[in-house]
Amino acid sequence: MLKMPGWEMSIVWYFFLGGIAGGAYFTAAIADNVGSRRDQAVARVGYLLSLPLVAVCGVLLIADLGVPKRFMNMILHFKFWDPMSIGAWAVGIFGAFAFVSSVLSFTSSESMAQLRRRISLVGMLFGFFLAGYTGILLSNSAMPFWGDSRLMGALFLASGGSTGMAAVALIMFLTGRSVGEAWHKIEVADRYSMLVEMLVLALFLGLLGAAAQPITTGHFARLFWGGLVGAGLIVPLLLNLFGSRVRALGLVSAVLVLVGGFILRYVVVMSIQG
Amino acid sequence: MARTLAMFTDTSLCIGCRACQVACKQWNELGLEEPEWTGTYQNHAHFTDKTFRLVRFIEAPGAKPNGDLAWLLMSDVCKHCAQAGCLDACPTGAIYRTEYGTVNINQDVCNGCRYCVASCPFGVVSFNEQTGTAKKCTFCNDRIHNGLGPACAKACPTDSIQFGFRDELVAKANQRVEALKAMGFKDAQLYGADSNGFLGGLNAFFLLLAKPATYNLPENPQRPQRNVVVDSLFSIGSAILVSVGALLAFRERGKGGA
Repeated sequence: MLKMPGWEMSIVWYFFLGGIAGGAYFTAAIADNVGSRRDQAVARVGYLLSLPLVAVCGVLLIADLGVPKRFMNMILHFKFWDPMSIGAWAVGIFGAFAFVSSVLSFTSSESMAQLRRRISLVGMLFGFFLAGYTGILLSNSAMPFWGDSRLMGALFLASGGSTGMAAVALIMFLTGRSVGEAWHKIEVADRYSMLVEMLVLALFLGLLGAAAQPITTGHFARLFWGGLVGAGLIVPLLLNLFGSRVRALGLVSAVLVLVGGFILRYVVVMSIQG
Repeated sequence: MARTLAMFTDTSLCIGCRACQVACKQWNELGLEEPEWTGTYQNHAHFTDKTFRLVRFIEAPGAKPNGDLAWLLMSDVCKHCAQAGCLDACPTGAIYRTEYGTVNINQDVCNGCRYCVASCPFGVVSFNEQTGTAKKCTFCNDRIHNGLGPACAKACPTDSIQFGFRDELVAKANQRVEALKAMGFKDAQLYGADSNGFLGGLNAFFLLLAKPATYNLPENPQRPQRNVVVDSLFSIGSAILVSVGALLAFRERGKGGA
């Protein structure tokens, strides 16, 4: 008879916002390093978005502890095989990278911009880590479904990518920067991420088989199939593919991807603890 | 490291008096809880943050040598696994192994992240809302460091719970299984005695009169952290696919991506 850890809404929010922070940062780093001068709008939005999000993540994690004032105990200790231990370190290190990149995103000097690009190449590794490790944390527990899934980290990472890109696109739209090439590029990048996420999700379900029943059947099935697979992946992908000339459809697509990313974390975390 | 200590719970000798459960509560000052109606004499249904020893009352049709319904009694406890999932999961180092091989939670270091709760294959570790920390059997760490056995073993009137050096207890347990088999208990078996078996052996091991599943115990519990490397490699693959997509979207056409 197994015991549930009692990780609830604050952990769902942390997994969701951590995915966006990591995804927005590594998207920004890629746009910064290989994109044109105009793509720097994407880079700046991505860096500046990742900073407040990772700060919120830290607050959520600390507040969820049984003894919040002892959160430093995780930093006084390091276990390289333990997702919770490396994760605590990585949130802090990622926060430092997000801060430096955000500050440097305001520079007008080319040499400082060059430094920012170099730094972001290291920072993006922590971005990938933050987006994916939460899945590995769940899949390396004794819990059914979580512990049976070998692709939970891969799925969370792909979802972190698609939600991070959608969040950047959404902010560009809301701040009136949804014109021109950069907006189009983030839409294309999000399209690829959604395709990767669908592929990984199909493999995830295929490998799990009957062990995926907590989300594919019963109480959470409607939310999973309708909210994530339908409204959170298939519909936004179609809007992205066929509505790219209408900017409002791009906006709807981005919002749906974000909702889908939240539903993914929600059904995975809550289904077996319900 | 000192010679490994162990507890051997011989369920064939248990009379269900629950002296162990009460002794554990008293010595460790675990406090009162609301009783739970389980439909049997068992109380509580599971381990809690205030119940570290728990006598299970199990009705198993056909488990007696003559084919009758067997009323199985088992005093359950933290297994003090040689490869402990809770210990490997603990990010603060609060969960540690003592020089006697037992697993203990330092209540002054635990910050209540609850990863150990999710990483115990037996559902032993429990979260205490009042202290905000994880709780489980301490193997009476204070007593064994002062030359006393655990309170439960001391209180047991039938020697169903025995305390001693692990190697000696395993030898005794093997003899006991042979004796029970000769008496017709064909499913009599040890659970967790083999240090080459699952989880590197349990330092609190059991003699069962039926299959582990009858007692709600997993047949072959596994170390929860065994897939960290595989899962990480799959995640790196996912990161590469997402990055390639972003690279294709953002690269400057005609400049070879530079």
